[in-house]
Amino acid sequence: MSNTVEHFKYDNTIVRNFALATIIFGIIGMLVGLLIALQLVFPVLNFELPYTSFGRLRPLHTNAVIFAFVGNGIFTGVYYSMQRLLKTPMYSKFLSNFHFWGWQLIILAAAITLPLGITTSHEYAELEWPIDIAIAVVWLAFGANMIGTILKRRETHMYVAIWFYLATFITVTLLHVFNNLELPVTFTKSYPVFAGVQAALVQWWYGHNAVAFFLTTSYLGLMYYFLPKAANRPVYSYRLSIIHFWALIFIYIWAGPHHLLYTSLPDWAQSLGMVFSLMLIAPSWGGMLNGLLTLRGAWDRVRNDPILKFMVVAVTAYGMSTFEGPMMSIKSFNAITHYTDWTIAHVHVGALGWNGMLTFGMLYWLVPRIYKTKLFSTNLANVHFWLGTLGIIFYAIPLYWGGVTQQLMWKQFTPDGFLQYPNFLETVTQIIPMYAIRALGGLLFFAGLIIMVYNILKTMANGSFSPTEEASAPAREKVHVAHKGEYWHRWIERRSVLFTVFALIAVVIGGLAEILPMMMVDKNVPKIATVEPYTPLELEGRDIYIREGCVGCHSQMIRPFRSETVRYGEFSKSGEFIYDRPFLWGSKRTGPDLHRVGGKYNDLWHYNHMYDPESTSPGSIMPPYPWLVTDDLDKSKIGKKIKVLQMLNTPYPEGYENDALADLEVQAKDIADRLRADGIDQENLEDKEIVAMIAYLQRLGTDIGKNQVVENNEE
Amino acid sequence: MYKYILESVSQINWMGILPLVLFFSFFTIMLIRVLREDKTHVSNMAQMPLEKDS
Repeated sequence: MSNTVEHFKYDNTIVRNFALATIIFGIIGMLVGLLIALQLVFPVLNFELPYTSFGRLRPLHTNAVIFAFVGNGIFTGVYYSMQRLLKTPMYSKFLSNFHFWGWQLIILAAAITLPLGITTSHEYAELEWPIDIAIAVVWLAFGANMIGTILKRRETHMYVAIWFYLATFITVTLLHVFNNLELPVTFTKSYPVFAGVQAALVQWWYGHNAVAFFLTTSYLGLMYYFLPKAANRPVYSYRLSIIHFWALIFIYIWAGPHHLLYTSLPDWAQSLGMVFSLMLIAPSWGGMLNGLLTLRGAWDRVRNDPILKFMVVAVTAYGMSTFEGPMMSIKSFNAITHYTDWTIAHVHVGALGWNGMLTFGMLYWLVPRIYKTKLFSTNLANVHFWLGTLGIIFYAIPLYWGGVTQQLMWKQFTPDGFLQYPNFLETVTQIIPMYAIRALGGLLFFAGLIIMVYNILKTMANGSFSPTEEASAPAREKVHVAHKGEYWHRWIERRSVLFTVFALIAVVIGGLAEILPMMMVDKNVPKIATVEPYTPLELEGRDIYIREGCVGCHSQMIRPFRSETVRYGEFSKSGEFIYDRPFLWGSKRTGPDLHRVGGKYNDLWHYNHMYDPESTSPGSIMPPYPWLVTDDLDKSKIGKKIKVLQMLNTPYPEGYENDALADLEVQAKDIADRLRADGIDQENLEDKEIVAMIAYLQRLGTDIGKNQVVENNEE
Repeated sequence: MYKYILESVSQINWMGILPLVLFFSFFTIMLIRVLREDKTHVSNMAQMPLEKDS
């Protein structure tokens, strides 16, 4: 047994770099969030520019907060704690730096492409295929560095935080690859491999588990390290943390379909998602209690120590959102909350409360340590804490209120059996005061962040940064002698590779059980004979709809409720979406559902409405899209698009890629002629983007009306 | 349409039952193992973040 003490140095530079990136992207991500919150109150803040309209900025906000702010936060904590828990510097300095700069470049690419309207429109996976590949490469570099570090560790056993980091790495890799399977049309445009119901299931398998394995498991790892550090006492129950880990990663991966309740997804999949979501309360609350009880006997310190305050609110917010999530997965409850601002409130309790507050607590603890100094001002940290906490309250409560109000208005019938509020807009203007208070909440939270930035910068200026930190530990025993009566988990804690395989199996079982039936769903989706592929012009219009991020505010999924079929028309059938790449069901109705908007209004109405929404709908908070009226439609890619869709089995006739342009122009002329007849006097009208948009909107949901024949597609 | 979906469900019932059985056995075995884990080892593991140089 070699027990010589070895000396080595921890790398603090990579930690500092990620910490700075966390702060910078926290400011940017939240500032964009504040802007889009204000746009809902003051639509003029859309500035009538494509790059600053709500639909394009919303994905920028979500991506910036999730992958830039929280992402860099994860890496800050992982690079700090991993070296220390494994008693070794990171495996490769090159990989650390490659990871850092690669990740920041990806964020930069997102910040450029999303406002340009380059998007796949898959929520939280909006980035186009070249960036997806870059993400995969950088993420694998992070994983290689992590696993390399684990293999050369000096500690025999891996602490629970490391397991959470490993699970994060493995699962996010799986999710990212599956959800981004797409065929490129050009460098900035692709069509996904999965369509319609299948795409929806894969997307929400991804979307839900991005929350689970990017925003949750990684931060649980940070909690299990930084909370004991800040409280200066060990975690309440290490046994509970083991149960927490295995139960959580096993169950989480199943819960995705709860995002698709009452949609065209087969019922059995919806029920599966609901049951597993309910089961999730157990491990989640086990973890939350484990975190809170770590402070047993130290609660007096919580009164004085802002770092512990931040962590207590973070863990409490984790508990609240992991209680709320399962509740929202119960179908009858979901019927009220879905498509409303309740969902937005829910995710922000998680993002601001759990991720935000834990990040702040971690930074306040970590920065003074790597700068060998004390925090510049505890008072300012306390002010930040209260601004942050009040910000969350002012953010969430108005949105819960507004969400329920709006859904009840959607569902309200008069005694005579008519909709009480047939005009959707009425239900929006009703809750605008709630949007205003929400923006105030966001402002408070943001103000707190700015105070933190000042405090941290001052702390950095007062201290002196130590790029490396001396440490020593005995070399790892080459041959571990198993103790008598040693149990399974202790054994596996030593075997990192085996551990990784076990964790992979745990998530793959859940993944497969969802994905395999999904593959079979392909045969289960009854084809509707009258549903046909989009015409070339409609396809171009659909791609504009995607570019402008319309899906952020408009669903295309009418649930089988009387209140929805009366308002929107026949409920949506799975067979109607088989040519939808990507699917555009949406998850929020800031505007009305559009699945059956085809034929509801005439072309002129759409023309005016897109140019200036208030001209047809006074009081509307939809941004105007004047550029659709002035910009020429890019028709040069239509042949390529048709070809790619043919490769994905969309039944266009053979050689159609050569005829598509002619068909497109004929249909465009038709629409332009109708607009002219209605008094629109515009030169080259048939070449404008608006014509394609109108073609698409007028097509939506109309196929089913054409002598509907439902047939099974048994081969 | 619904008839078809309902019929096809019977063919994939095993997909619901197998993971349930797997999860139940995995969870039970893990629980028993974890609860019987050696006390000193568990407390050593919990102390890990608080050790010198950690």
